[in-house]
Amino acid sequence: MKLKHSLFSRRQFLNGLIGGWVGAFLASLVYPVVKFIFPPYKEPDEAILPLADFQDMPPNSVKNFAWGSKVGLVKKNDDGTYFAFVGVCTHLDCNVTYRNEQRKFFCACHDGWYDENGINIGGPPPKPLRRLTLVIAGEELIIKKESPDGTS
Amino acid sequence: MNIGIKSWLDERFGLSGITDFMTKKTVPLHKHTIWYYTGSAILLFFAIQVVTGFMLVLYYKPTLEMANESVARIMNEIPLGWIIRSVHSWSASFMIAFVFVHLLSIWIAKSYRRPRELTWMSGVLLLLISLFFGFTGYLLPWDDLSFSATKVGTDIPRAIPVVGVWVTKLLRGGEDVTGDTLTRFFGIHVCMLPVFLFILLAIHIYLVQKQGMSLPLEAEVKQEKVKEIPFWPNFVFRETVVWLLLVGILFSIAIFFPPSLEKAADVMAPAPEGIKPEWYFLFLFQTLKIFPAHVLFVSGETLAVLLMFFAAVLFFFLPFFDNKPTLTKGKIITSLAFVFILYALVMSVWSLL
Amino acid sequence: MTLARPSFLILGFLFLFLLAWIGAPYCPAQQDVEQAVTSDLPEKQEPEKIIGAPQDIKQKTGIWVFVVWMWVSILVLVYFLRWKIKEVDRLYQLRYFSAKKN
Repeated sequence: MKLKHSLFSRRQFLNGLIGGWVGAFLASLVYPVVKFIFPPYKEPDEAILPLADFQDMPPNSVKNFAWGSKVGLVKKNDDGTYFAFVGVCTHLDCNVTYRNEQRKFFCACHDGWYDENGINIGGPPPKPLRRLTLVIAGEELIIKKESPDGTS
Repeated sequence: MNIGIKSWLDERFGLSGITDFMTKKTVPLHKHTIWYYTGSAILLFFAIQVVTGFMLVLYYKPTLEMANESVARIMNEIPLGWIIRSVHSWSASFMIAFVFVHLLSIWIAKSYRRPRELTWMSGVLLLLISLFFGFTGYLLPWDDLSFSATKVGTDIPRAIPVVGVWVTKLLRGGEDVTGDTLTRFFGIHVCMLPVFLFILLAIHIYLVQKQGMSLPLEAEVKQEKVKEIPFWPNFVFRETVVWLLLVGILFSIAIFFPPSLEKAADVMAPAPEGIKPEWYFLFLFQTLKIFPAHVLFVSGETLAVLLMFFAAVLFFFLPFFDNKPTLTKGKIITSLAFVFILYALVMSVWSLL
Repeated sequence: MTLARPSFLILGFLFLFLLAWIGAPYCPAQQDVEQAVTSDLPEKQEPEKIIGAPQDIKQKTGIWVFVVWMWVSILVLVYFLRWKIKEVDRLYQLRYFSAKKN
């Protein structure tokens, strides 16, 4: 259907076109700026540690290692097996500590508690501590992100 | 809807005074109008410096141990960091180039005539601040070349009698160029100079608006009626065209000719060969070099530095010397501008040979 | 106006072409950084010089796309702005003359 009068004048059309194009051009400049300001953080795929550092740990104790820029925790259980966690509280990112007498992980920031397997049991933490898979290969401890089906 | 926002703001800020002024302000049209664009071009490049500077400062670490490494990280690791650094580096050169063009056009057109003396003087201070921006920024990557160039540059004030030693110590944060110098230059570059520049720029721009655009000397003398166009929107649209082209040229050059980064400066190493300051200091650098080691009983360097200082002071008060612009004195001062251009060009090229 | 347009575009693309011709040798220059990574055997070798350059083909294409887009935008905007300038100049003149008559 043909309109009797156009929806906007030629001046408005031209102004709109210019404004729109300037906007698009500026928007294209925003992309590199944003990419620069938010650099990609890559979590490491694995951490390889010398077994010697962790062999002589007493049972029911915890030692830390670097997991990217976060703290990772290796826990030696009573039966001699090892667990690995990302030692960061799931509430608001504080680093947790292990209380061996109580057999619990404790977050000092807001009194968060996790049991010896990292399950959240008290305080504000909404989720358990993130588990990492730990494998002993010869003289090395290989720590990786947990596989999706939950096997460690 | 727009009108609603405008009146809301106007009720509180009283912006209508500014907007009225902007519509009434006119710009004269004559064969020298093209030079009117240089001022806003400087502002454009400075705005780009601020934006890219804000971004670089997120990752740059101003300590002796980390400076070079952090710039390397910006170039290699941070996405598109090398472009941001390149734009910052090139825009600095563009800005200073336009500052010189702007200054020379004012000098030759004698736009500093009464009542615009203060505009000129604030402009000279802005020139010095811009050069100091360039000087302090040059050291920040902390590679061998910039380290040595800073050693030389901060040694020059020492030649001034009595106060020279103190100026050098002030710049260096001690006797030598050290990590303290780097941190000091960073603070000056990022904190102090921007504040000083904003204050002087506000004064400079206010004066330009208050006094209106100057006319060429011939027009004023002959009392001719010069055609004028309104600043808004006619002149602003023209400025926008100029800005778009300048941005295009700057980005293209920055993307295809990015600066490199040498390895971190070794404080113990001998000065690298081919040491030279940035291009805008070359003519001063060469002037220093041609002075003999001793002239009568003063060191050549002292004489050179004193002469430069003296010239700068004369330059600062130029509008007061050029108070009779139409007479011979006025013509001599105009020709001095061309002498300076020639001198600077010859000296700069000579220093590169 | 129609006269201005094709010459503008031609000049613009000529400039781009020249830039590409001159700039091409500088683009993929990553040898030094790559060298430092691959020769990382007994001791850490610091690269003598780091040259800013796009890291991979995806970035390289992205940059070219951006440069072309930027220049196309600039030329289009300048073209439209010249129209706008003519318009506002004409308006200003009309008002000026009409004010004089009254």
